[in-house]
Amino acid sequence: MSALGLILTLAWRSVLSHRVKSLVIGSLLFAGTFVVVLGNALLDSVEEAMQALIVDSLAGQFQVKEADTKDQLSLFGGFGLGSADIGDIPAYEDVEKAFLAVDGVEHVVPMGVTNATVFGRNEIDQVLVDMRDALREGRPDDARLGAERARRIVEALASETATSEALADAATFAKTQEAIRIASEPTFWQAFEPTTSGSTGAPDQDQARDPLGALDFLDARIAPLASDGRLLYLRVIGTDPQQFVKVFPRFRLIQGQVIPPGKPGFLFNESTYQELVKNRVATELDRLRKGYERDGDRIADDPLLQQRVKRMAQQYRRVTFQLDPQEAVTLEAALRAELPAVEGDLDALVQAFLTVDDSNLVARHDWFYAHVAPLLPMYDTPVGGTITLRGFTQSGYVRAVEVPVYGTYLFDGLQDAGLEQGSNMVDLVTFRELYGKMSERAKDELAGIKAKVGVKEVSRADAEAALFGGGGEVEAAIAEPQVVNVNLDAVRAQDPFERSFPPEDLRRGLVLDAAIRLTDPSQAAALRPELERVAATLGLEVLDWKEASGLLGQIVTVLRLVLLIAVAIIFLVALIIVNNAMVMATIDRVPEIGTLRAIGARRSTVLGLFLTETAILALVFGGLGAGTAAGLVTWLGQVGIPAPAKQLVVLFGGNHLYPAVGVDDLVFGLVAVTVVALGSTLYPATMAARVPPVVAMRGSN
Amino acid sequence: MPAIVTVRGAVKDYPLGKLVVQALKGVDLSIERGEFTVIAGPSGSGKTTLLNLIGCVDVPTRGEVVVNGQSTGALSDRQLTALRLHSIGFIFQSFNLVNVLDAFQNVELPLLLQGTLTTAERRKRVEALIERVGIKEHLHHRPNELSGGQRQRVAIARALVSRPALVLADEPTANLDSATGASILDLMKELNQVESTTFLFSTHDHAVMQRARRIVRMLDGKLAEET
Repeated sequence: MSALGLILTLAWRSVLSHRVKSLVIGSLLFAGTFVVVLGNALLDSVEEAMQALIVDSLAGQFQVKEADTKDQLSLFGGFGLGSADIGDIPAYEDVEKAFLAVDGVEHVVPMGVTNATVFGRNEIDQVLVDMRDALREGRPDDARLGAERARRIVEALASETATSEALADAATFAKTQEAIRIASEPTFWQAFEPTTSGSTGAPDQDQARDPLGALDFLDARIAPLASDGRLLYLRVIGTDPQQFVKVFPRFRLIQGQVIPPGKPGFLFNESTYQELVKNRVATELDRLRKGYERDGDRIADDPLLQQRVKRMAQQYRRVTFQLDPQEAVTLEAALRAELPAVEGDLDALVQAFLTVDDSNLVARHDWFYAHVAPLLPMYDTPVGGTITLRGFTQSGYVRAVEVPVYGTYLFDGLQDAGLEQGSNMVDLVTFRELYGKMSERAKDELAGIKAKVGVKEVSRADAEAALFGGGGEVEAAIAEPQVVNVNLDAVRAQDPFERSFPPEDLRRGLVLDAAIRLTDPSQAAALRPELERVAATLGLEVLDWKEASGLLGQIVTVLRLVLLIAVAIIFLVALIIVNNAMVMATIDRVPEIGTLRAIGARRSTVLGLFLTETAILALVFGGLGAGTAAGLVTWLGQVGIPAPAKQLVVLFGGNHLYPAVGVDDLVFGLVAVTVVALGSTLYPATMAARVPPVVAMRGSN
Repeated sequence: MPAIVTVRGAVKDYPLGKLVVQALKGVDLSIERGEFTVIAGPSGSGKTTLLNLIGCVDVPTRGEVVVNGQSTGALSDRQLTALRLHSIGFIFQSFNLVNVLDAFQNVELPLLLQGTLTTAERRKRVEALIERVGIKEHLHHRPNELSGGQRQRVAIARALVSRPALVLADEPTANLDSATGASILDLMKELNQVESTTFLFSTHDHAVMQRARRIVRMLDGKLAEET
């Protein structure tokens, strides 16, 4: 046995013979290490999961953007609807070339995020669009069916607007009533009857001969009264869609197809599509069922849910207005069979049907999709249709672009993340138009369209004056049929599906940022200086996935802070308790220490002895704590931790977190607990070292 | 033969609240190598204080204590510790064995603190001494498994293992019955004669005094007489 061996033996045996003290201190150290290792392992796993999610869905290992801009990049959106000013990259081709030249960079993906608004259609808009198509395509019967639906909507509006006098000024009210009066005349609707009965000396012969004129009247004077069309705010990512799909493995197409090369196009984010574009009654039923089945929400227990059910039932027109007379008859019969106790018309039946409770929610949801959904256009904007995006350009004016909707997609793992405003995708050429900096080609194209349509430079200034100058003029202008009828066929000829551009335009010109994907992601830290050097020559800055994802990326940092505080509190308590226990132990052992000192042990030997005792406790109990935590984490890694709330889905990188414990977590936990334990022993150990040898000569042992 | 301990005019004051208690009031004493000396006197006469000064666990307020050629008042704590470790063996009234170590380890303790001998040398010396003090069969027993006499034998072995110039024994028989005390004293006497180890006792046990070659009597912090 050496001198060190002596200290170890003495310390080990002291630990064993002072069992209560050792257990008290040990259990504290156990708990401390357990929390540190568990917390760190979970957080590391969260960070890894988040990293994988963010890197593989949108960010890449790095993002580059213009240096020193007013706002920071926030790929997944921040607070508020305003678009952040993150600067721009005027010539993406230079950036791509420069970064692809860096060894280890596999892909550079051009990007840009902007906000666009979309006017959702209300029911009457929908009907009018259908009627217009029917008339234009020579389907008078369909037009007449549409007219039946429109007429019912006008009836409903008549009773609604009759009570709205108090809310409007007298002139507006009078105008409204006049419009309703005209549209309620049976003669008005004769315009849509087959032509044989069209010219029988009706009072308003112009309209009788002119169904399109009648449609325009409905469009201009009646549709605005049904003011429940939705204004959607969409986050839109412009990119090279074909490249994006190849480079980002979390991209998953749900419906339709990816935007083809060289084509303008739009992909809805699946959650946006389901939440905001779908028939609202259907969306609400979906949500209620999901809440019922996934989260255990019960309508009976929750006044808020009862409120929602009530509101949903009041929205019965979202169903009834969409039906033509034949469909209405079909649904009425089906509902009457389903709900024999309910009296009244179709409206009453649908209302009763939608007044769901916990006992029938699931069955009615199923019934809705089996019997009602097939009768309705379920989405305001169907895949295969077009959407008109309105962007607030950098120049400050609003620009509208009509693009085909090619499909819907989501990012695997983000679908349940509760980011209500998921990112929608457009091609970069369309993005640039919305963003307001046009390519030369787009300018040529615009000039071409203008020439075809025959618009002689209706200058933007005039348009704005008309829109914002005097309110009355706009309505009057639109009410004039000849204005609306300007060469519509020429506009239609410019079918959005037919438009195209050279595919290389996607990789040329303005972008806001670019994603960099590395051949070997583990080299990210090593490659960063080189990337930063390249970026600096281009006036750009490099952001890692955490920096690029804005608030989302900060979550891990915040969680680490929370863990740190929790651990600090545990350690502070441990410090105090260990310190106290050791002070008591020292007092108990004064004679022993005195004897050691008397027979020739140095102060440093006594100090070492006490510290060694604590170190043994820290290593043994800390080791047990670390081991227990490692076992727990490993077990959790096998069964998975379900995300308790959708807000946590992002953190978990999916619906389950599969944590793993790393050697660094174990080492860190053990070292941390040992340092704290030794720190809290420093005072009692110093106290012990100061015990004078003379005490050995006093009193009994 | 040079004196192993020389005490000159040693005074020791203890503060006691606002008062100062003078435990030693000027003591002069000299101990030669090979002595078997007893310091005797009633409780409070200052004999333990004197023993503390000679044992280098305390230093005089005034005067001088020279142990093995070194004046203790001039030494640092570290030097005093080294002096105790290498020159002095202690036998305590309550044995003061380390409870968590067995007999062998207790005896080995000073050698480990010295750190000069190899494991084999230590083993040899410790086993020889343990056999010498007659507890060979208790080599690996812990103190709480030993009787009072056996414990004191372990303590004696521990005091002698480093072959110190001086062995101090503070009332070594006070916690032993008279028969055991007598056998312990016989052992020490024998070691004194055979190994020429210098022993200095403090006691008021007459059995100890009878075996002493020299008795120094103390009273009220001073040497009273010497026989």
